[in-house]
Amino acid sequence: MQTLVKMEGITKEFPGVKALDNISLEINAGEVHVLLGENGAGKSTLMKILSGVYTPTSGKITVKGKEYTKLTPQDSYDLGISIIYQELSVINELSILENLFVGKLPTKKAGIIPVVDYAKMREIAADVLSKVGVHRDPNLFVEKISISEKQQVEIAKALASKADVIIMDEPTTSLTTSETEHLFKIIRQLKAEGKGIVYISHKMKEIKEIGDRVTVLKDGTYVGTRDVADVEVDDLVAMMVGRKIQGTYLNEECHDFSDKPVFFEVKNISRKDQKVKNVSFQLHKGEILGFAGLVGSGRSELMNAIFGAEPKSEGQIFMEGRELKIDNPYEAIKSGLGMVTENRRETGFLDNFDIKQNISIVPYIKESKGNGVIGLVNDKEELNYANQQCADIRVKMRDINQNITELSGGNQQKVILGKWLAAESKLIIFDEPTKGIDVGSKSEIYVLMRKLANEGKGVLVVSSELPELLSVCDTIAVFREGEIRGIFKNSEATEEKIVKTSTGE
Amino acid sequence: MSENNAKKKMSFGEAWQKFGTIGIFVLLLVILAVIRPSSVFSASSVPQILKQSSVNILLALGEFFAILIAGIDLSVGSVAALTGLFTAKMMIVGVPVPLAILAGILIGTGFGFINGMLVNKTGLHPFIITLGTQSIFRGITLVLSNSRSVYGFPVSFTSLMSGSVVGIPIPVIIALIAAVILWFVTTKCKVGRNIYALGGNIDAAWYSGINVNLHRLIVFMISGTCAGLAGVVLLGRVGAAEPAAGTGFETYAIAASIIGGTSFMGGKGKIPGVVVGGLIIGLINYAMTALTLPSTYQQIVMGALIIIAVTIDTVVGRKS
Repeated sequence: MQTLVKMEGITKEFPGVKALDNISLEINAGEVHVLLGENGAGKSTLMKILSGVYTPTSGKITVKGKEYTKLTPQDSYDLGISIIYQELSVINELSILENLFVGKLPTKKAGIIPVVDYAKMREIAADVLSKVGVHRDPNLFVEKISISEKQQVEIAKALASKADVIIMDEPTTSLTTSETEHLFKIIRQLKAEGKGIVYISHKMKEIKEIGDRVTVLKDGTYVGTRDVADVEVDDLVAMMVGRKIQGTYLNEECHDFSDKPVFFEVKNISRKDQKVKNVSFQLHKGEILGFAGLVGSGRSELMNAIFGAEPKSEGQIFMEGRELKIDNPYEAIKSGLGMVTENRRETGFLDNFDIKQNISIVPYIKESKGNGVIGLVNDKEELNYANQQCADIRVKMRDINQNITELSGGNQQKVILGKWLAAESKLIIFDEPTKGIDVGSKSEIYVLMRKLANEGKGVLVVSSELPELLSVCDTIAVFREGEIRGIFKNSEATEEKIVKTSTGE
Repeated sequence: MSENNAKKKMSFGEAWQKFGTIGIFVLLLVILAVIRPSSVFSASSVPQILKQSSVNILLALGEFFAILIAGIDLSVGSVAALTGLFTAKMMIVGVPVPLAILAGILIGTGFGFINGMLVNKTGLHPFIITLGTQSIFRGITLVLSNSRSVYGFPVSFTSLMSGSVVGIPIPVIIALIAAVILWFVTTKCKVGRNIYALGGNIDAAWYSGINVNLHRLIVFMISGTCAGLAGVVLLGRVGAAEPAAGTGFETYAIAASIIGGTSFMGGKGKIPGVVVGGLIIGLINYAMTALTLPSTYQQIVMGALIIIAVTIDTVVGRKS
């Protein structure tokens, strides 16, 4: 069988992180090669190297017998490599026809002036659209068609560019069962035509159904490549999760809290957008409750609904037996909730504020009247808030009047935590609390979480890093498709069980 | 060690941020003093410059808040004209002067409320909303005044507005009081702090419990109030409610805010800077008269100044 692409010894370093370490991948003509791994395993980074978005630090890429040390997006396009991202990149404001040729419009000469060759475009479009089964007027604007049709247009776009290698990043995430069937039919047909397909997915069932070979990545390292026919789902899960040394977990402090009184409870929370469906859970006094699941499975969406940052359509929230009325973050703060959000830069800190102002903002809101409008800023009080928090959680800084953007990610995160502590929050939600921060700060944040729980505060943790959840959480709830599909005590939780529950196997 | 160095050596960026606005003011003053010494070194020059600046400062103070939340208020000139007209008409029908002044200012607040509600309810950028209301408010002024000047109100009003206390013209005192109150709001009140937060990062502000819509409404009400105040002052200075009063003044207000160091991206800027920005506009105005240049040239100088000031600000901002 002809090898279309061979990636060997690919390493990619970002400042401070090794995203990929010596990865190899081979894509043959006429195969579906599944790329498997947890969130952050390096699948997308590897594919971005192939599509020319990233330059590898070392390693070589052989395409159709020719060797490269790096590819540019133009190289990648010229070599017939096409990528279909999970967040589709079709342009809603253009027609199907224009989307197929975006940036690569075929031209003809009108005298000496090159003009767009619409006749040729229509001819190619008719061909590729029929191949993927889109029976629509090519002049229709893309915003008018369904998500699965948009995806088919993307595939048609790849075909129009005469791609031999088509990368699909979790293509079935937003498809229904019948749409998935249709996609698989297209994939089989492409396979028969000798195209090489890279299929990124978490869904074990699909891998068995559509995959020929599977390559597993873990934490940026290569675990292995197997023929799908010879491998069991359990083996794949074991490969994805790897065999971690138990000693690296800090879970000696984790206990069973199920006989303790309930501190915080959520009943039947749903969202209009169906991202959270009828979710209930209990948090006991002293317990740290973690939420596992794939990105987009509804964990952050639930937390945003609890905190009032995004609307919930139904559901009740109780703390210490009292029902809380929360429709916005202001009411959440007044009720004693705090939330360290997933994205520091976008929703966490204020980049025009210094450290002390970033800390005092929440206690000021909490103490003020009339929706945070009434009240004065007291410089002395503000300094007290800030100094106390920064000392307690050991923020490394030059001085308290420093702009927060000058701090490292870990210290920024501590300042954000500090604002919730300064407001004496009784329950703190941590959404991906250690994303993009260094190992040292990570363990400091774990210690802080445990300390808060021991002080009787409620701690909820959303994380995509399983070792993190297994290290710090007493109980782990696993999300899939907007619902809690399993709850494990720390003593009985394993990465295997969580991965299986979150992927639906 | 690096701390000491940072204190000793101030980068151009830091110097610009601290003294840029006042530097422009001094530079303009020096240029004027060199070209025409008599226009600067005379007893009447300072009160004259201040008087010319007062309406600009008032409008700029309100505009500052709109820009602070990464928005804009293009309607301030029209609001000033319409509140001036209302105040004039009230006085003509016999409403006592103090009451008419107060009502005029509050009408400005009301127009700001309308702007704020429209922005909140439609979700459109303030540029679009206030572009629309700018035209609407101006249109209402033209309709109500039949496109003619309205005058004939009590002398007590015009003499009040052209009077002075210990040599300082009343309009200047009004502008200064407004500046001091708003300086207090921005530095000492939670509402001010929240507005800065909103301008810095609207999502982070929301997650910190700030009621985004309420604060946006307050911002436009402040802007409207300042415009109302400017309208009343302008009425007193001109001595009649002109239907075209304040045309193009939003440009001066925006220019004063930006030259005064307010970031167009939102979240950054200070009231004293805006006051100096307003003074610069007034000074340019005064210099044009003193140099007997047609006032139309003022727009060219103003335009050039905006571009220069924002360019330096952006380049400096990019570096830091």
